[in-house]
Amino acid sequence: MTAWLVICTIALTWLGAGAVWLVGDSRPRWQHSLAVTFALAAAVTAVLLIPQATDEAVITLSVGGMFGTFTFVPDGLSVFLTAVATVIGSLAIVFSVNYMHGEAQLGRYYALVLLFIGAMAGLALSGSLFLLFLFWEITALCSYALISFYNDDPKAVRGGVKALIITQLGGIGLLLGALITRTYLGDYQISTLLAQADTLPPNILSLLAFGFLIAAMAKSAQVPFHTWLPDAMEAPTPVSALIHAATMVNAGVYLLARFYPAFAGVAGWKTAVATVGMVTALLAALMAMVAFDLKRVLAYSTVSQLGYMVYAVGVGGVFASQLHLFSHAVFKALLFLGAGAVIHAVGTRDMRQMGGLRRQMPVTSVAFMIGAAALAGLPFFFNGFWSKELVLEMGLEGGPLWAYGGMVLGAGITAFYTFRMVWLVFWGEPRGAAHAHPAGTAMRVALIPLALGTLTTWLVVGPFGHWLADTLPYHHLHVKTTAEFLRDIALAPATYVAIAVVGLGLAAWWWRDHLTGLAKDLRGLAQFAANGFGFETVNRVVVNLTQRAASALQLTQTGDLNWNVVGIVGALLLVLLVLAG
Amino acid sequence: MNDMSILVAGVIGLLGAGLYGLLAVRNLFQVIIALQVLVKAAVLALVMAGYASGNLALGQSLGVTVIVADTVVAVIGLALAVQVKRHLGTLDIKALATLRR
Amino acid sequence: MLNLILVSGAILCALQAMQTKRLIRAALWLACVSAFVALTMYRIGAHEVAVIELSVGAGLVTILFVFGISIAGEDAMDAPAIVPKVLIGGMALALVVTLGLLLLPVGEGSPQPEQTSFAVMLWEQRALDVLVQVGLIFAGVLGVLGLLADEAQVAHKPVKRETAVANPEPVLAATETPAPQEARA
Repeated sequence: MTAWLVICTIALTWLGAGAVWLVGDSRPRWQHSLAVTFALAAAVTAVLLIPQATDEAVITLSVGGMFGTFTFVPDGLSVFLTAVATVIGSLAIVFSVNYMHGEAQLGRYYALVLLFIGAMAGLALSGSLFLLFLFWEITALCSYALISFYNDDPKAVRGGVKALIITQLGGIGLLLGALITRTYLGDYQISTLLAQADTLPPNILSLLAFGFLIAAMAKSAQVPFHTWLPDAMEAPTPVSALIHAATMVNAGVYLLARFYPAFAGVAGWKTAVATVGMVTALLAALMAMVAFDLKRVLAYSTVSQLGYMVYAVGVGGVFASQLHLFSHAVFKALLFLGAGAVIHAVGTRDMRQMGGLRRQMPVTSVAFMIGAAALAGLPFFFNGFWSKELVLEMGLEGGPLWAYGGMVLGAGITAFYTFRMVWLVFWGEPRGAAHAHPAGTAMRVALIPLALGTLTTWLVVGPFGHWLADTLPYHHLHVKTTAEFLRDIALAPATYVAIAVVGLGLAAWWWRDHLTGLAKDLRGLAQFAANGFGFETVNRVVVNLTQRAASALQLTQTGDLNWNVVGIVGALLLVLLVLAG
Repeated sequence: MNDMSILVAGVIGLLGAGLYGLLAVRNLFQVIIALQVLVKAAVLALVMAGYASGNLALGQSLGVTVIVADTVVAVIGLALAVQVKRHLGTLDIKALATLRR
Repeated sequence: MLNLILVSGAILCALQAMQTKRLIRAALWLACVSAFVALTMYRIGAHEVAVIELSVGAGLVTILFVFGISIAGEDAMDAPAIVPKVLIGGMALALVVTLGLLLLPVGEGSPQPEQTSFAVMLWEQRALDVLVQVGLIFAGVLGVLGLLADEAQVAHKPVKRETAVANPEPVLAATETPAPQEARA
């Protein structure tokens, strides 16, 4: 039963991808409904999988040789990420029905999105490091292809190539980790690595730990690898919501949380993780303050919130990171889809040309503001508040104080830029020439569940914790009931510090006219932030080097069959000589 | 020189002839013919191996599979060659290298 | 002795097929290779596969080649080889010599009495292969139909997209003034 659910979750999306492709672009109506049907079916199977979660492999497939055994283990972490990917994926596809209406090459779009959802489910569910790597690469490939979806736009293509190259760096780290595990422990199973991590030589274990950290940093867009995510915003907005906010970028956090028990003992690893998270959260928040592109603001805020999750893992709060991942996936998908509705309506991404949209798009603006309140961490009714407070509380308990200070400051800046964004888009007077029209039905259908989720998911914190703890034998999570959680957070002094800072952030926006002096003083910082703190240059060097190496190797690609056969025969001769010698 | 050695030499010779063809010819049809020669060597090797190990039936059934696959390859290759001729006006494989800078 | 003649005949025909400049001749030389190989296989007792090879390899494939060549037309090709001649000959020779030195001579095989007949082997023990072959043939037919059919023309609608922000200027506390180029009266 469980095995079938696992198979169905992955297979349904991939079958759907094939079906949409086969139907052909001449029948867009069919493509829309097929994509929605398959995505919803996969979401249903993934949700059905939740009560079946177990820490044992439900599918074991021996592929022999170097590849070891492929297993699927639907434990708490996996099923959780699968459910997030499929449910939000299906909502993004529902949203696309309106958003992509009338676009050319719908088949390519839907097929890639569905392929991505399946690969993400596979990534989460696989119990073998090698299989994990395979799915990891498929998600990277889909992400690249979807960022470059408008492939006649050079900016989109450049963004896609950049994302591909940078996330590949992470992929190499993961592959190396898998091979090292196989060499020292005899197989690729994640459970083997978690169980026998302390039998590895210490230097090898730290190599693994930091290799996986780099993999996670590249995938989750942590400083200094964060620059690909803002450029990825050239993708259609539902794709940004799905891949670059709610799911794929979480894969890095998932990786860290998954292997936390194995690496927690490695000297300096936790501090490194917490530092990476803190620096990312802060720098990305600063960059979000000065961006004018609505999707870029959201992208930077995603990077920043991912920093919170990474920080949470670094201070030992695996559960806090997963809870924040949950909240963030819901409210950030909501924000992105809301932004998509806005962009679709006004035809620009520049916030300076929006304004006053709350009257023209009432449903979208209310939904967006709910998401924004959760992002800012406004107290009590929004899931973002509870999970962020839990992260900060864990930070105060288990991490260095300076990192905690940075995170609290980050929370204040988050409130500031969130408020700025909402103000520029929905309040004030209309500034753009374009006349906005309300969001379509399918868009609203996708927005409303996410808005409701943002208001309610914090209520399931207790059962969620127990469910995770029951199926994760190596993580030793300490869980409480919902009531205990809420009471602890509500009574913790850290909470009031954070609320005060969030209030300060809002106040700073409100009285921004009085702060112009300060703003002038910080102009240099603003310029620096707008230029991405110079990391852009580093990344450009990496990307350029890769591309130059590729063009140098192009010389060997004559495209002539005869020369290719020379290569083949030459290699054959070499092999024969080795065999003879 | 016994019979088996002759057969092995034949397989090697056919392999050499096929690879020589792939190295030398520029006509798309002849490329397919060179592939056919290579596959003939493979079929002969399979059947011969079945004969030498006393399991000729197995060798034969594998040989049949290879023949079928190879025929499909030839058919698809021919159709592709016809399309190439139709679109590019030539069968020279040099004309196919359009991906170069 | 007969084997030697058959085998060298096959190799000679193969070389001829590679050497000739006329396509029809190349196809006919290939048919000869096929015939020689089929005869060789018949001689060592592989009767069934020899018959299949003769009918498919020498018959069907040759007809297909002639058909294809008649559609595409003879393409006289006097252009010199792309790879230097020395390299071609050297590599082919080196490969044959290395393989020969590695493999030859081989001992006499130990032909044992047949336990299973070809039919039983093919239909019962290798049923999966047969299934795969059916799939292959089907795929081949589909592929050829797809290739020979005229490509369907798909009309593409123009792609609409969002306009991105060009070079946002940094302002810490954003003012609500519109972007300069979009300023309204």
